[in-house]
Amino acid sequence: MKAALDQQRRFITLWILRLSIGLSVGCILAGLGIFLAMGADYLPHTPSGSIVQILAYVWQEAVSLHASAFLDAGVLVILFTPLARLVSGVVANVRARDWLYVSIGLGVIALVLTGLFTGQS
Amino acid sequence: MLVVLAGGMFAGIIGSLTGLGGGLVIVPLLALVLHLPLTQAVGVSLFGVIATSTGAAPRFVGTGYSNVRLGLILQVAASSGALLGALISHWVPSRALFLVFGLVMLYSAVMSFLPTAHDSAGATEDSPLAARFRLASRYKKEGEWVEYRVVGVAPAFGIMVGAGLLSALLGIGSGVFKVLAMDRLMRLPFKVSTATSNFMIGMTAATSAGYYLSHGDVSPGVAGPVIVGVLAGAHIGGHWMTVLPVKTLRRVFAVVLSFVALDMLLKGFGI
Repeated sequence: MKAALDQQRRFITLWILRLSIGLSVGCILAGLGIFLAMGADYLPHTPSGSIVQILAYVWQEAVSLHASAFLDAGVLVILFTPLARLVSGVVANVRARDWLYVSIGLGVIALVLTGLFTGQS
Repeated sequence: MLVVLAGGMFAGIIGSLTGLGGGLVIVPLLALVLHLPLTQAVGVSLFGVIATSTGAAPRFVGTGYSNVRLGLILQVAASSGALLGALISHWVPSRALFLVFGLVMLYSAVMSFLPTAHDSAGATEDSPLAARFRLASRYKKEGEWVEYRVVGVAPAFGIMVGAGLLSALLGIGSGVFKVLAMDRLMRLPFKVSTATSNFMIGMTAATSAGYYLSHGDVSPGVAGPVIVGVLAGAHIGGHWMTVLPVKTLRRVFAVVLSFVALDMLLKGFGI
């Protein structure tokens, strides 16, 4: 049972890492490609505000094929990768009924999220 | 854009070959060569640090090198330090940051010349705190599982707060301090220390990177090429590791690092 859970945990971790690397690099290269092809002015754009506002901006701009939206998306994917690893670890510990490490994992997630939500200017 | 991409790639190659971390390359490149304000250079560099950690992580999955339980315990301290560092980052004068960065670079350069591996002097018994948190584990060495014990959790916890603080203020992974604490204080096998440190640096950087992004200090036009460059560089560096004289390279890079450190210190002194 424990070996099966460990195996599953390894598989999910690898899947998260490979997916996020592929997605991030894909988005950034698409953004750079659009910039080079269409001469979009992505450099002056610097996102700020809450993460929710930045995500809403990315969605709106991506529909219009703006280079900055793809660059933002690639940057956000990399930012959320450690968080995704933490969440998958907490889920694995819930399945293993390891409540001590569930609470420690949740504590670290809370700290990372606090960082995300305290920087809004 | 090409300069940033090449710089990120160089940081990725150097980071994977020498273990000194990409932040020590990216921040001086952005601040000294491209003249970006230091807070922006730090913000962008933190994304490079997350990319370094993410790019290297698949190599460690399934080997047992990364002690996830220990990483989580110490991460509470590192993320707390990183959060504190992010909160005070805009109040710390740039000159003070240049000074601290220069000193950290010099320290990293000196550490490159000192022996690190402590595999033969591992702890024989868990400390009470390590036993309470079930931190003892095992890793694969030449096809065999090797068990190890853990000590010195409390002092290492304290060092991680400082490592997190420096990571957030300087845009570095602080791996050199994390590995030092795990290697010397906790007496972990060296590969376990480096893999667990790699697991932690991404989370530490993410704690403060979100702050810098929300604060408007991260330009995706700079961060994007840095991320791609670092990931590509780490991939290339992983392949070169078997053919290049890594120890010599590490020492040569340490000398270069010393000169850049000197430049940072001079900037810190206003010269």
